[in-house]
Amino acid sequence: MHHSKKHAFEPKIVAFVCTWCTYAGADLAGTSRLQYPANVRVLKFPCTGRIDPVFILRAFQKGADGVLVSGCHPGDCHYMAGNLHARRRFAAFRTLIEFVGVDLDRLEFSWVSAAEGGKWVEVVTELTNRILTMGPLEEFKALEAEECWSGKLDTPELQEAYNNI
Amino acid sequence: MNKSAQKLDVTPLVDESYCAAATQAIRCEATRLLTEGTVAAVIGYQAGRRKGTAMPTIVSSPEKAAELIFSSACVNNLALYLTKAKKEVRGKGRLAIVAKGCDMRALAGLIAESQVKRDELVIIGVACAGVYASGADRAAPLTNATIARKCRECVVHLPEGADLLAGSLPQQPMLTPLESQELARLEALTPAGRWAFWKEHFSRCVRCMACRQVCPFCYCEQCLCDRNRPQALESTPRPAGNMAWHIVRAMHLAGRCAGCAECERVCPMDIPLNLLNRKMAKELKELYGYEAGLQPQEKGPLAEYKDTDDQSFIK
Repeated sequence: MHHSKKHAFEPKIVAFVCTWCTYAGADLAGTSRLQYPANVRVLKFPCTGRIDPVFILRAFQKGADGVLVSGCHPGDCHYMAGNLHARRRFAAFRTLIEFVGVDLDRLEFSWVSAAEGGKWVEVVTELTNRILTMGPLEEFKALEAEECWSGKLDTPELQEAYNNI
Repeated sequence: MNKSAQKLDVTPLVDESYCAAATQAIRCEATRLLTEGTVAAVIGYQAGRRKGTAMPTIVSSPEKAAELIFSSACVNNLALYLTKAKKEVRGKGRLAIVAKGCDMRALAGLIAESQVKRDELVIIGVACAGVYASGADRAAPLTNATIARKCRECVVHLPEGADLLAGSLPQQPMLTPLESQELARLEALTPAGRWAFWKEHFSRCVRCMACRQVCPFCYCEQCLCDRNRPQALESTPRPAGNMAWHIVRAMHLAGRCAGCAECERVCPMDIPLNLLNRKMAKELKELYGYEAGLQPQEKGPLAEYKDTDDQSFIK
């Protein structure tokens, strides 16, 4: 007989990182044998400037409970100013999704350099703990499960047409 | 959306005889430009088939210039014809274009983005006191109930910087800024409240893509949402894909949108799209001091950066 076993909530966190700084930083954390939650899935990009806001949306839609975007400190960008362009873009994107109703506590931005293995551990641990207390992101999951128009047949004409079918 | 704001107010808002003067000035200038051969064609409005309506037209001979009009039914943003639907007219030579204040802002944006050259354009600006909302009864004069929402808080009634200004503004009444009020109401809601609001609206979306087709700034040869492999956005009209599409649309227009609200006007499902555009414009003004204006600006807020930009949200 099938026993449904209730698992404790394990947050799914997607981290979009730049290859030159944060990826190397996370690597350093690993080689230094620092411990951090295994909830984070790291995706490597050439630069934070390459990270399109669509990626973040897509992550939320496909089941991420939290998203982390991390790259080089200002002035350290391998491509001179990719992170500075990204800074403006994400500042705008944050306000947009907040206006649409997404809780900004689920989206984290950080600068982590190649030498900051400890900071990477700190950022990931804090985000994971925060998401753990917040629980799963239900809004996007519910939306994903909806198949059709959720509007109501609320005008008299529509109601009449519907009744005549 | 305008339906909720409707009051039984049938007194005409403005003295619409100012349109006759504007029409005269447009015809005069168009005839002159076409006979002199300064321009190959004039993009303007002509009377529609039903009474009180208007539609876009491209006039290329001086005789036809007498068909040009301006009225409160001239809702379209003609800047669209320079980048998209009628792009082929650009090959013919210099063009003249009739522009209201909001259309002029779109032209300024397109010039700034190097889509159009200013010296290839003759801009015939028209003084505009407001146009009809979508679905409004065009046979009756413009009233408090039938004016478009964007026009209630318009700051560019006179398109300054145009090559010619046709007509002059009549006396205008003060109108309640419905859109700002709605924006403030939404901002005051909880995130869950806003999510519910947008979910309700976006779920209605049928993905006809009219908002994209009518936008002068959506001129990409291939839109992100039409691409597959990898597919960034679901293309079927399901709630999840709709939400993503509208967020992406607002994001791509952030710092570029001229506020002509054409997206909202053409939306068959009455989704208040201009609220998203307004919100982004407001935030970018607060963050980077950028505002869409009548003069082309060198760079948009998301195309440049400063070392001193706010990064309080980044750890």
